[in-house]
Amino acid sequence: MMKFILNDQEVTSNSKANERLLDVLRNEFSITGVKCGCKEGECGACSIILDGRLVNSCMVAMGSIEGSTVITIEGYRETKRFAALDKAYASVSAVQCGFCIPGMILASECILDKNPNPTEAEIREGISGNLCRCTGYNAIVKAISIAAKEGKGLW
Amino acid sequence: MVNCYNPTSLKEALDIIAKEVVTPYAGGTDLMIEPDENATYLFINKIPEMKNIVEDKEFIRIGAACTFTNIIENELSPAILKRAVSQIAAPAIRNLGTVGGNICNGSPKADSALIFFATDSKLRLVSNRGERVIPITEFYLGRKKTIIEKDELLVEILMNRNVLNNYYYKKVGERNALAISRVSFAGILNIEAGKIANCITAFGAISDVIIRRKNIDAMFVGKTIEEAKAVKEEYLAEYNKAIVTIKGRISEKYRKTVCMNLLNDFLESNGI
Repeated sequence: MMKFILNDQEVTSNSKANERLLDVLRNEFSITGVKCGCKEGECGACSIILDGRLVNSCMVAMGSIEGSTVITIEGYRETKRFAALDKAYASVSAVQCGFCIPGMILASECILDKNPNPTEAEIREGISGNLCRCTGYNAIVKAISIAAKEGKGLW
Repeated sequence: MVNCYNPTSLKEALDIIAKEVVTPYAGGTDLMIEPDENATYLFINKIPEMKNIVEDKEFIRIGAACTFTNIIENELSPAILKRAVSQIAAPAIRNLGTVGGNICNGSPKADSALIFFATDSKLRLVSNRGERVIPITEFYLGRKKTIIEKDELLVEILMNRNVLNNYYYKKVGERNALAISRVSFAGILNIEAGKIANCITAFGAISDVIIRRKNIDAMFVGKTIEEAKAVKEEYLAEYNKAIVTIKGRISEKYRKTVCMNLLNDFLESNGI
């Protein structure tokens, strides 16, 4: 039995210690906003925020998160910060197929949480572990800087 | 539920590893690529004694379970280490991956291990039987083979405080983010009173073990830049012999050529 906080709720998992957090989120908790792209930490589609930091949930064994706090897009979408990012992404059509977007949004949150006024280089660095095959990244980078401006005070 | 251990102190972890067959799990970023269903993981990611970065008179002491992000964010971390670590993978991996795991995984491509070679760092290995502090150059026996005993944990990396200036670092990968080093090189050269006080070079990702040849680098020590220039050809010829590259995803020849170019660039950047 593993206890942790998932999107503001204390939950108990029946998973094994060696199982990937990614698989447990999807299969046991039906949290399907975490996408499985590669299972080797290369694509960022399964990104979550673990104890305040962006991580790939495929790289996390359940046994390592006892007592930890996990935020997925399902929890994050209830926030004002999400609303600002949502609007900014939509305003420049930064989303096409959408597969990378839950991870991309959480990476965006971690960039702005650390630095509310990031430079373009800092934004690119912050999303460097999140692959997107549709947009060519430029629209996403633009969206994050728009969110930083329009959402002033939120971060 | 598969057995696992979540020790909250070093003593507790050592007691477990002394008795049980366990796989230490620090960041998980290497282990979870192919998680072993039958392994019993010893989770050492929350042991305070392994998460500190502190300094004493001689060393900067880095806890083995510090993540790459912990190192980047800590003001005590030497600049050469920050430079290399900030080029590892991407933020999400750096938030999990640890220096201890990078070293103990036994890969010659470990970007932080290269820096510990290039700074003549030492490793503090601890078990219930006692502890030993060994130079990192003595830690590796071959690819994925190290001298760590089954009941030992790497607890700290000890970096010499006085050789960390004037560094050179280059990582050659396929792209900027999420790249595994094809060739990596680190060098340090310091001049005191007009003479070369130390010259250290290390070559990563090109052989089974990171290459560090103290005897060759010693050719420059005690010499002026002009005197070093006079033996440069001889120095490079020695390295040309010492660097024996192996074929990986890229050819031996490419690796060798890049190594020699980086070495030469390091020397030229120091006026040699």
